[in-house]
Amino acid sequence: MSINKENVRNFCIVAHIDHGKSTLADRLMEKTGQVSERDMEEQLLDSMDLERERGITIKLTPVRMFYKAKNGKEYVFNLIDTPGHVDFTYEVSRSLKACEGAILIVDATQGVQAQTLANAYLAIDNDLEIMPVINKVDLASARPDDVAMEVEEILGIEATDAPRISAKTGYNIEEVLEQIIEKVPAPKGDENAPLKALIFDSYYDNFKGVICFVRIMDGKVKIGTKIKTFMSDKQFDVTEVGVFSPKMQPKDELCAGEVGYIAASIKSIEDTAVGDTITQVENPALEPLAGYKKALPMVFSGVFPLDGSKFNDLKDALLKLKLNDAALSIEPDNSAALGFGFRCGFLGLLHMDVIQERIEREFDLDIITTAPSVSYKVYKTDGTQLVIENPTHLPPVTEIDYMEEPVINASIFTPPDYVGPIMELCQFKRGVYKDMVYLDKTRVELKYTLPLNEIIYDFFDSLKSRTKGYASFDYEIAGYQRSDLVKMDMLLNGDICDALSIIVHKDKAYERGRQIAEKLKDVIPRQMFEIPIQAAIGGKIIARETVKAFRKDVLAKCYGGDVTRKKKLLEKQKEGKKKMRSIGTVEIPSEAFISILKTDNDR
Amino acid sequence: MAGIYIHVPFCKQKCTYCDFASYPRELSKAESYFACLYREIQGRAKQYPNKIIDTVYIGGGTPSVVDANLIAGAIRQVKKCFTVKKDAEITIELNPGTVDEQKIKLYKQVGINRFSIGLQTGFDEQLKKLNRIHTAKDFLQCCNLLKGENISADVLIGLHDQTLEQVKKTVDLALAGGVSHISVYALTPEVGTPIYTDYLNGELLSDDETADVYDGVRAYLKEKGFERYEVSNFAKAGFRSRHNMNYWKRGEYIGVGVSASSFVDGRRFTNTFKIDEYINAVIYNKSPEISSDVIEGSDAQFEQIMLALRTSDGLNIKEFNQNFSVDFDNEYKEVLAKKMRFMERKGDILTIKDEYLYVQNDIILEFMK
Repeated sequence: MSINKENVRNFCIVAHIDHGKSTLADRLMEKTGQVSERDMEEQLLDSMDLERERGITIKLTPVRMFYKAKNGKEYVFNLIDTPGHVDFTYEVSRSLKACEGAILIVDATQGVQAQTLANAYLAIDNDLEIMPVINKVDLASARPDDVAMEVEEILGIEATDAPRISAKTGYNIEEVLEQIIEKVPAPKGDENAPLKALIFDSYYDNFKGVICFVRIMDGKVKIGTKIKTFMSDKQFDVTEVGVFSPKMQPKDELCAGEVGYIAASIKSIEDTAVGDTITQVENPALEPLAGYKKALPMVFSGVFPLDGSKFNDLKDALLKLKLNDAALSIEPDNSAALGFGFRCGFLGLLHMDVIQERIEREFDLDIITTAPSVSYKVYKTDGTQLVIENPTHLPPVTEIDYMEEPVINASIFTPPDYVGPIMELCQFKRGVYKDMVYLDKTRVELKYTLPLNEIIYDFFDSLKSRTKGYASFDYEIAGYQRSDLVKMDMLLNGDICDALSIIVHKDKAYERGRQIAEKLKDVIPRQMFEIPIQAAIGGKIIARETVKAFRKDVLAKCYGGDVTRKKKLLEKQKEGKKKMRSIGTVEIPSEAFISILKTDNDR
Repeated sequence: MAGIYIHVPFCKQKCTYCDFASYPRELSKAESYFACLYREIQGRAKQYPNKIIDTVYIGGGTPSVVDANLIAGAIRQVKKCFTVKKDAEITIELNPGTVDEQKIKLYKQVGINRFSIGLQTGFDEQLKKLNRIHTAKDFLQCCNLLKGENISADVLIGLHDQTLEQVKKTVDLALAGGVSHISVYALTPEVGTPIYTDYLNGELLSDDETADVYDGVRAYLKEKGFERYEVSNFAKAGFRSRHNMNYWKRGEYIGVGVSASSFVDGRRFTNTFKIDEYINAVIYNKSPEISSDVIEGSDAQFEQIMLALRTSDGLNIKEFNQNFSVDFDNEYKEVLAKKMRFMERKGDILTIKDEYLYVQNDIILEFMK
């Protein structure tokens, strides 16, 4: 069955977090009969446990729907869901490449928010047709007409006829479907031209090998087609093609304009990079499609197996995750304290959190994550320059001329009441004030330049707690700036624990040293001997705490009937110890490494 | 050489910290219970015919609350059914206020030669708070009845607001009573006991405070000529408890009665904790055991290490290597590298250093495989 391109619409939905993206997607599927109301599990596209629990979309998920329009024709809709969080902007841009149009959801009570802007601009950059939809009109505080005006004013997108809907109740969803046909262009592309398929996502299936999620731009592909990619020379025979409904459903062939998947017994994860173009071996396309801008990881952290013998398992897990998460960077790392592991780069803290949880849940591995760091530029006295992502790689102070740290341009949107507390917070985080704009009576945009290493700790949390959750935050990297930075080491029982070293601004070293020492004192259990915990810069101790030795752990009585009981007790204690890591003579629970993150409390 | 333990699950009233199998309201069942005990003794003797008995220990509960003839009967039954050495150590636990001249006379007649008295503390308010049945004066009277005998006293530390001075005075009282052996137990609040509530409310001494008291009393007892031969046990020269030493040497023992545990021919087993269940099992010739494990390999090695390191005699590595056909130093290389600084090695003997005996779990569990 060949599909008439004229009747295909490829689109995505973009929105600020919590404006109803996944709910609208569910509703569209329901209305097109893709899933019955009865089978409907809340938020079908968010299939990862993690996504459902946190109410966020992390991975993109494509789905194919059929819609019989009022004009009597039947259409094929390919919806590609996208993540909403700022950390996942990169994933959004990937799905945009596979579409011709984007539904921009705006919350009728909240109006245009930081991510509305960011995602709308991203869609515009990718030449997509934007179709605004005003959601949550069922709420008492909805002001759809104001919001439509806002969209026109701020984004310059025509919004007077934007559908006013409630994704929650299903109100006016047909209007959205009709407008998709009207506003989103049909895909272009030539079925008879050589195959060009953009890989926008992929994952590893234990039976079928790598499954590539593709948008066919030109040509067609079916079982038996010999294919190759532009970045790798290897050839593969296609074993299966199909579409998403939303589960994978095999088909005979995929043609230009369609969205679907290709399996070709590709065994190695490295052979198919997201963003690469698939073509046929015979009569191949000459040029690849424009790929993606490589996402730059901003936050770096050491990831180590709790059990050193699981190094290879961790490696496999990271490689599998990297397969469909190009933003994750992996490099082997070696710590005196933690042994062999990886230095991983993440888009942000949420991304890091998500990867960490996926390793633990999907691969059943216990890991230790060290405090995150950013990448610093080190200018040495001998005129050379280094980029350091791991504090332990910092050269001796005597060899350093000066250092630079990455800074961001932050836009913070907030009701005017919270301007004071936010300015205080930004100042505390070494921010430099740039501008303040009243967007309207209820919203102010504050602009700051902030060092990235201040943001990666608890900036989001502090911002939320200071504004009762009203403020939102967006940022872009603004390059590097010279800064007075020092490496601070933590000593446990006199030995430096490299996994706890951090790079910190000189003015904040004392305070952070004290906080981390205090925190470690709380998380390190008492042991048979006293453990001094010291923070040091160079050879100079700047803070000290002590974990006192414990005095008693013996079972008072151990007679005939107590032997078995005592053994069980010791087994339990031993089990608890497995969660610990020996650093020199000191045993440290794995959460200690990350807990030092959470010291930067709001004074 | 093996020991025999006889459990007497009766007492006058429950102490607030007690989680042993002891049932004050069941005292009326004492006669039927002992009838079953005699039968179990006979049965165990048939089951394990070639054991030579070196020690007998009658514990509880409070064995001295039951008719002394029942106790005497149990000892006679043991002697009848097993080969008991002439110089065997035969101990009975008793509480002040539960014995008189007659009882003691009968005990001695059947060969009981060691008396372990539950003193706990020399302060009457504390005794009352623990729901003990006696006073400090009762203790001295009891000792008076036992003049010239081998007496041991149990002392508790970690009680409500207890000070080192109080514990030293308690020791003084025990010495005045003529004891040559003292057990100093840190109170262990068990879930389900009344004192657990006090523990939850922070009314008992903390572990640190208890450790301070322990260190103080250890020094005091040393001054008085008592050697610490195990974590909680102190004795004048020649007065160690042979029965208990057997446990720590991982020697064999047969336990009879409710809740009694045995370790014979490599098997550990424990009887039911319920009196009725026990009586019914024995009457109908069924096993009263509720658990049974054969201990082998590294598990057995671990027991040996764990038990031996509680004592000042320590672990004899040469014997260990012979028993288990291993090379201890090689087998436990990593543990020794990590924890040797808390231990001492003299010839073949490995011990935990004095100052770490009270925090030994941390060392011992490293030996667990």
